Amino acid sequence: MSSVPCAPRRIRPIRPVGYAVVRVGRAAFLLHRRAALVALGLGVLLAASCLAYLCVGESYVQPVEALKVVLGQPSADELVVGTLREPRMVVGLLVGAAFGVAGGLIQTVARNPLASPDIIGISHGASALTVGAMTFGVTSYAVLPYLSVIGGIAAAALVYVFAWRGGLHAARFVLIGIGFAIALRSVTTLFMTKGDYLVAQQAQIWMTGSLNGRGWAEADPLALTLLVLLPCVFWAARAQRSVALDDDTATALGVRLGRVRLGLVLLGVVLASVATSAAGPVDFVALLAPQIARRMTRTAQIPLLCSALMGALIVVLADLLARRLFSPTELPVGVLTAAVGAPYLIWLIVRSRSVRNGGTS
Amino acid sequence: MRVPVRRAAVMMAAVVALLLAVLLSLAVGARAIAPTTVLDALLHGGHSDSAEVVREMRVPRTAIGLMVGAALALAGTVLQGIARNPIADPGILGISQGASVGVVTAIAFAGVHTLTGYVWYAFVGAGLASVAVYAIAASGRGGASAVKLALGGAAINALLVSVTTAILTTKASALDEFRFWQVGSLSGRDSEIVGQIWPFLLVGLVLVLAVARGLDALALGEDVAKGLGQNVATVRIVGGLGATVLTGVGVAAAGPIAFIGLAVPHIARAVVGSDHRWVLPMAAVLGPVMLLASDVVGRVVFPPSEVPAGVMTALIGVPFLVALVRRKAVAA
Repeated sequence: MSSVPCAPRRIRPIRPVGYAVVRVGRAAFLLHRRAALVALGLGVLLAASCLAYLCVGESYVQPVEALKVVLGQPSADELVVGTLREPRMVVGLLVGAAFGVAGGLIQTVARNPLASPDIIGISHGASALTVGAMTFGVTSYAVLPYLSVIGGIAAAALVYVFAWRGGLHAARFVLIGIGFAIALRSVTTLFMTKGDYLVAQQAQIWMTGSLNGRGWAEADPLALTLLVLLPCVFWAARAQRSVALDDDTATALGVRLGRVRLGLVLLGVVLASVATSAAGPVDFVALLAPQIARRMTRTAQIPLLCSALMGALIVVLADLLARRLFSPTELPVGVLTAAVGAPYLIWLIVRSRSVRNGGTS
Repeated sequence: MRVPVRRAAVMMAAVVALLLAVLLSLAVGARAIAPTTVLDALLHGGHSDSAEVVREMRVPRTAIGLMVGAALALAGTVLQGIARNPIADPGILGISQGASVGVVTAIAFAGVHTLTGYVWYAFVGAGLASVAVYAIAASGRGGASAVKLALGGAAINALLVSVTTAILTTKASALDEFRFWQVGSLSGRDSEIVGQIWPFLLVGLVLVLAVARGLDALALGEDVAKGLGQNVATVRIVGGLGATVLTGVGVAAAGPIAFIGLAVPHIARAVVGSDHRWVLPMAAVLGPVMLLASDVVGRVVFPPSEVPAGVMTALIGVPFLVALVRRKAVAA
């Protein structure tokens, strides 16, 4: 490419309908008006849900007191809110956001809402390696997240390699992904029979995706990892647009589509695996959040910020329900998200139009 | 009469393979026992340690493997026939998971801990799951395509797994019994199971064989089948009932064992053609061969511990599924 004598001049983009130009100093970027409104609305909803999350539980806490704790002021409810509910909520927020973005990225590249990390085996790869390590006595959260990420990437790579045949056909990709998901789940179950009863129970709960007993020990490394990945997400939000182009146009514009796609998928897999390591494979969040967000914003692309907010909202609300529904017993949050997500997936299948690609849009 | 002779010869070869698998299953394990000793123990009794191991542990285990392997392979064959879909399999379609939910319900709520008790729960679970998945896949445009079936199965699987987890989380006492059952294994199953499952197996077998002709007609397309005078709805209902009974009893006896129902019918069709009156018996012979072989391999790969047969079949099944999906565009 560099040997081309005169590089094509940068084409000044025409402002599309529905966008506003926002200037910050010398930088200018396009803002989708409706998406911005939706993000704002979701943000408000999320804040309200978080407050409810902190207040509702075994004992009810006044919203004012809960806010005091969050702001670091002395309060009588320090223990319940600050020690028990707040860190768990933070884990839920981060996990939900990470799954939302991960799902959005992978769905964008696959151009198929069904190619979410929990359906094509990525979460199962992360689970298999993590549960394996747990049964062999590794319980340190300094190690487990890395194993999750390795497991997730390995599973994704396997599915990709085996589904590749002169191209990546969506149906083939999904079918092979489902196959690997089943096999990896059986490997996970195998590990569970090896450990003793307590480890098995811990693993069983972890595997469904649970925030039970999660605290700052998980929240801190998770927040740090996501902070490090944030620039990549900004890059992804821009790069996403070029992926939507067809191959010829992209090549003509000088976009290296292959690399961009690989980068997006890799980022998606890493995000999904990191989230899985913190809370287990919380089913369907990665499938649901981007799709709902896209329908709300009515954009052609999956809006990543709204996906993140939507994911966080789903997880926080689902965990609130999971804690209270059968109290005093707490359900794993994954049970709730699956109970919502599975019917949605069924609905997607039933009303799918382009059956040939196994896709819906 | 040339074709039947060839088919009969292939069938003989399959039966020989089955005998070999049975012999291996009886001879190989933590204690390797010479085939002659195995035969001796079976035919002449005797009270040596080896003879006791063969009779008390390996014979029931092998018998369960025979029955479950045949049941799952037949169920897969019929499902592929009535759905006219090459990737139909009780595991992929969530039918096994339905049976699992039935069993965990029986253990946790009904206080049922015997196979004859919870096999009924397994039937109900398997039946509901199969109806649900087929309804999902068949609705909407395009009918029950491979991808829609697989996805419907994945959705139902996820839903049922979450139900199972919800039960196991709230009823911790059930987990310890369930986790060993869930993995899908032939070891540690009660020897009485053999005596308990054969009536169900027989019922399933009769139902399945009854629709063999109907499945052949259905393979030509729904309209042609109707034109040939087949009652398509009856074939689907009876076949589906047979597959449900077979899956339910297989899962209740050995836990969810994946991929036997997927792989075996394809192998059977490859060797005897598409006539279901040959494919079904062939699948019934090859299913146990695959399951017993997986079980034997699982016993020797990581001594002294065993890899359960369900895990081995999944590991063997994945390359198979990959090959199947890659070979030709599975009508998506």
